[in-house]
Amino acid sequence: MTTVNLKINDQQVSASAGMTVLQAARLAEIDIPTLCDHPALTPIGACRMCLVEIKGQRALQPACTFPISEGMEVQTESPKVTEARRFILHLLFSERNHYCMYCEMTGDCELQALGYRYGIDHWVYPTYTKRFPVDATRQYFIMDHNRCILCRRCIRACSELAANHTLGMRQRGADSMIHADMDVPFGDSSCVSCGTCLQVCPTGALVDKRSAFMGRDVETEHVKSVCSQCSLGCGTEVIVRAGSVLRIEGDWDAPVNAGVVCQPGRFDPLYEERQRLTTPMVRKNGKLSEVGWDQALVAAAERIGDDGKKLGVLTTSNATNEALYLLAKLFSQELNATNVGLLNDVAPKLSEKDTPPADISASDVILVVGADPVNDQPVASFFVKRALDRGARLIVVDAEGNGLAPLASLQLNMADIRKAVDIAKRADSPAVLYGAGVTGKAGKALKELEGKALFVALQPGVNTRAAAALGLNNGFDPSAAQTLFVLAGEQEWNGKGVLDRMVKDAFLVVQSSYESPLTERADIVLPMAIWSERAGSLTNTSGLVQMANAAVEPKGQAKPDWEILSLLAGKMGKGLATSLDDISALAGDQLR
Amino acid sequence: MAKVTIATDWLAACAGCHMSLLDIDDRIVQLLEAVEFTSSPITDLKHPPEEGVTVGILSGAISNTHNVEVAKMFRERSKILIAIGDCATFGGVVASRNMVGTPEALRRAYIETESTVDGLIPDSPELGIPLDMVTGIGEVVKVDLFIPGCPPRADALFYALSELLAGRTPVVLPPEHFVYD
Repeated sequence: MTTVNLKINDQQVSASAGMTVLQAARLAEIDIPTLCDHPALTPIGACRMCLVEIKGQRALQPACTFPISEGMEVQTESPKVTEARRFILHLLFSERNHYCMYCEMTGDCELQALGYRYGIDHWVYPTYTKRFPVDATRQYFIMDHNRCILCRRCIRACSELAANHTLGMRQRGADSMIHADMDVPFGDSSCVSCGTCLQVCPTGALVDKRSAFMGRDVETEHVKSVCSQCSLGCGTEVIVRAGSVLRIEGDWDAPVNAGVVCQPGRFDPLYEERQRLTTPMVRKNGKLSEVGWDQALVAAAERIGDDGKKLGVLTTSNATNEALYLLAKLFSQELNATNVGLLNDVAPKLSEKDTPPADISASDVILVVGADPVNDQPVASFFVKRALDRGARLIVVDAEGNGLAPLASLQLNMADIRKAVDIAKRADSPAVLYGAGVTGKAGKALKELEGKALFVALQPGVNTRAAAALGLNNGFDPSAAQTLFVLAGEQEWNGKGVLDRMVKDAFLVVQSSYESPLTERADIVLPMAIWSERAGSLTNTSGLVQMANAAVEPKGQAKPDWEILSLLAGKMGKGLATSLDDISALAGDQLR
Repeated sequence: MAKVTIATDWLAACAGCHMSLLDIDDRIVQLLEAVEFTSSPITDLKHPPEEGVTVGILSGAISNTHNVEVAKMFRERSKILIAIGDCATFGGVVASRNMVGTPEALRRAYIETESTVDGLIPDSPELGIPLDMVTGIGEVVKVDLFIPGCPPRADALFYALSELLAGRTPVVLPPEHFVYD
């Protein structure tokens, strides 16, 4: 790569050719203020906050779009530059409602911070009095057009990151407004509520309904974690104040998603309405009674006993690697139980090499086979849509109703897999995204693309890859067990397929976070911590093992999934590892 | 040494800025050793003396013709005029009226309020006439120092007065005292 030498504020800076002045300045840790620029978005030079003085240039130039060149001399805070920035801020403040004192974003607003930085202590232009609407039609967040500075970050986030193209601009000049589709209320639009626009908005124009007015950023803690809504394992930041989760945001540094999350990842966990289980319970005289952990675990250990043959074990895939490892170790290995099953299907292994979903961006033909990322792994659907924006062709091989079907140039039944494989063979760099819906015959046909195509597994469930690697999808028959241990965790499931098929007087131990028909029938209930309350690792669909950190304390007496199993093993006289680190170390490579 | 004279008043304001002035707490005693408050909205004397004062402090927005008169009188009678609070600097909460227009705001407040029976928009000749646009004080007279904040922090007010007493006039407040909320 060619290196370019330039001077910024008389400091010698070397940067790669093709970089902008802003990028070179950031490399040299020279601060240039920005508003419309965002590291994850294409710079457009809309706001003019980053104007700098470049020797030989007639006018001030925006650092965010101006490319560096050899021998360039840049001044980022000269009197001329400062005056221009102050002028721009005065213009920004003169339009719409930028009174900070009753704004939700005060203290965290980028416009406000620049007002402080450039000493805007009064306004020199008469304020604009036009009133713009507030659109609260979306379920999770509000758009107040009066706070909008038209930086277009939201538009770019919507088109470049979510690749959804819902947002655009209407009207001209001071009347310009962000709008959705052909100017419909946001709630009625093609918006998928991923909230990426909300996360990049620099002012109080986009406001999260749930966490509004619940505190400034300095009063919160940002805990890096991993989303456990699907198998992608998107990195998140859980924003916590006083022991409560306020909000979830995408982690810009995360390898899987680079900042983007979806509606189920960002909002659903905070709108959970099911009743939590907070105390261990044991059935006495036909009724579930609250007991201490010790009593519940001893009762469970006694009942489970030593004979794996009488035992049935069923688990959700929404559990940490450590819990799944202990479950397999305790029941499959120590007790030799074979009636062990997983609550969701598993996608077959079609390739020796699993490609991370984000890596399909350069593919020219994308086959989506037996998977529905729009509904099951939304962030993966964003990656597909990004590739389509770059000109890729999409072929969906699935039953009717696949969320990507409207964007497909060809939609096929599984029986016609041949056609799809033949097209992929003729492509330069095809990619195959496949899920548990791939039939044996289709899988065989797809394997012909090994070496040619990128294979992206989209496992259903959450930690399905680790569960399958540990042999937990062995096939489960509720009617063949006298004692059942069900790790239901947080999974939304009414017990169908087990409650209706289990032996009438079978003994049921349930480890769960929420009340359900299953826990109502249970003989022992072990209350489990939820995603925000437990630490543990998760293996994503392409084999990446990531640590999810706990953001808050477990509710009531609930305990992390792995801790319950570790304590149970202790009561059963099978002393397995007891600390998270020890269990993680033992589990090791089995989880990939 | 003769004390430095300070006069203060509020225009279209909520009194919050003056509460903040009182919030400088026991330091006010220290301040009173060097300054004399000639008039204020919370003392018997309301108007700055005709011979003038060193420092005039105004809070509140320019909302009606009366506010304009007071602002002009303060400008004439003060060597240094300070605008304190978001209303005096930007128009503040009062300027929300600009978004609906003065006639609409008056109708809503005096006639359409849910608790009002036989409402009447006050029009006594003693009252100032509401202006079409609410603005900060800087729109009407020259202001020497703006201290924004809703309210401006007590520390910011104390800092500004201490600087003035030391013979320095801050142009813009330092970042630790500079807030909009």
